[in-house]
This record gives sequence, C-alpha cells and structure tokens, in this order.
Amino acid sequence: MAERSGAGSTEELDRVLADLRALSEDIESCAVLSGARDLLSSSHGPGVDRERVGAMLAALVNLSERVARENGKDHTSQLRIDTDEGHLLLVRLDGGGALAATTGPEARVGLVLYDMRNSRGEVEKVLAEGSNQ
Amino acid sequence: MKKLLRRLFLLGALAGAAYAARSYLQGKSPGKETVQIVFDDGSTRALASNTVEGQEFTDIARKILEVGL
Repeated sequence: MAERSGAGSTEELDRVLADLRALSEDIESCAVLSGARDLLSSSHGPGVDRERVGAMLAALVNLSERVARENGKDHTSQLRIDTDEGHLLLVRLDGGGALAATTGPEARVGLVLYDMRNSRGEVEKVLAEGSNQ
Repeated sequence: MKKLLRRLFLLGALAGAAYAARSYLQGKSPGKETVQIVFDDGSTRALASNTVEGQEFTDIARKILEVGL
C-alpha cells in the first residue's frame, strides 16, 4: 500500500504507481521522491522503515547529482544500478524529484525504464496539481 | 604447408572458442555490478562497482533492494 506526505493527491499518486506496477510486471516496488528529498509515495510493505528508505533514495539522488556536476552536466536524468540482488532504477522528475523502482535480477530493465519514463509525465502532473492546491 | 595451415586454423578456432566460453562465464558470474548514469544532455557514464564512486551507489542500492521501496 502506498503512503505519502507532502504535495499532491495521495490517491492520485497511489493510482499512478499502481498503474505502473500493473503495466510493468517486473517492478517489485516503486516510489516517488520529491525535489525536497521527501518520500511522497511508495509501495513498500508493512515493517519497512519509510524514513530510512527515503533517506537512502535521497542519498542516491544526491550522489548522482554530484556525478553530474563533476562531469559538467546540469543534472542526471536516469540512473540504473545493476546488482546480483536485482536492479534499482531512478528517473528524474521536474523539480528535482525522482521516480524509483526495484526489480529482480532477471527483469527486462529496458522495458521497465521505458514504462517509468512514460509514467513520469503523469507523476509530474499529479505533483503539479497538488502544489497548486 | 597445407597441413601446417590446417593446424593453425584449428588452433585459432580453439582459441576463439575458449575466449568465447570465458567471456560467457564472466558475464554470468556473480559480482558483476554496474552503475549507468544518463545525463540531461543524453550522454551516459558507466561506473564499475570496483571503483570508489561505483561502490557508493551499489552499497546503497543493495540496501534498498533488500528492504524494497
């Protein structure tokens, strides 16, 4: 079940993440991080420390932004980390937030990233509507 | 001469097969962790996990994968 705090409609963000998971069956879990590095919505199970997960995701976003700066770029638009345990994928949102997803090691990562990029617009729209209210 | 060429060809084929098998096994072996970053201008940067920079990413990713999002 998704949880959130901050800007945007809870139900709408939950719906977008649920749609993404339904579309991309390889996704095991997904989350939305705001530009202020707050965990707005996530599909984590009970017992998962939300604050800890949010902090780890924020650390990854900050690291990728640091690498971007070191390489003379404005920002990172996509991050893919392949490990033996699975894949962690991040797609940047307008305003510096991120849409994140985890998959198993055998996932079709290219397809998952494609679906995440397609869902990005919808997440951004929900966040923009939430901040206008 | 013809026999020598045939042996050389056979040796080359064997070496090629051995190299292909080694590459295949390395590709499947555990410990192959990579980080790929795509920047806003479309350029990419790959970091191997045996670099300090790459390890920072993979360490955090492993923890997140352990608990889920």
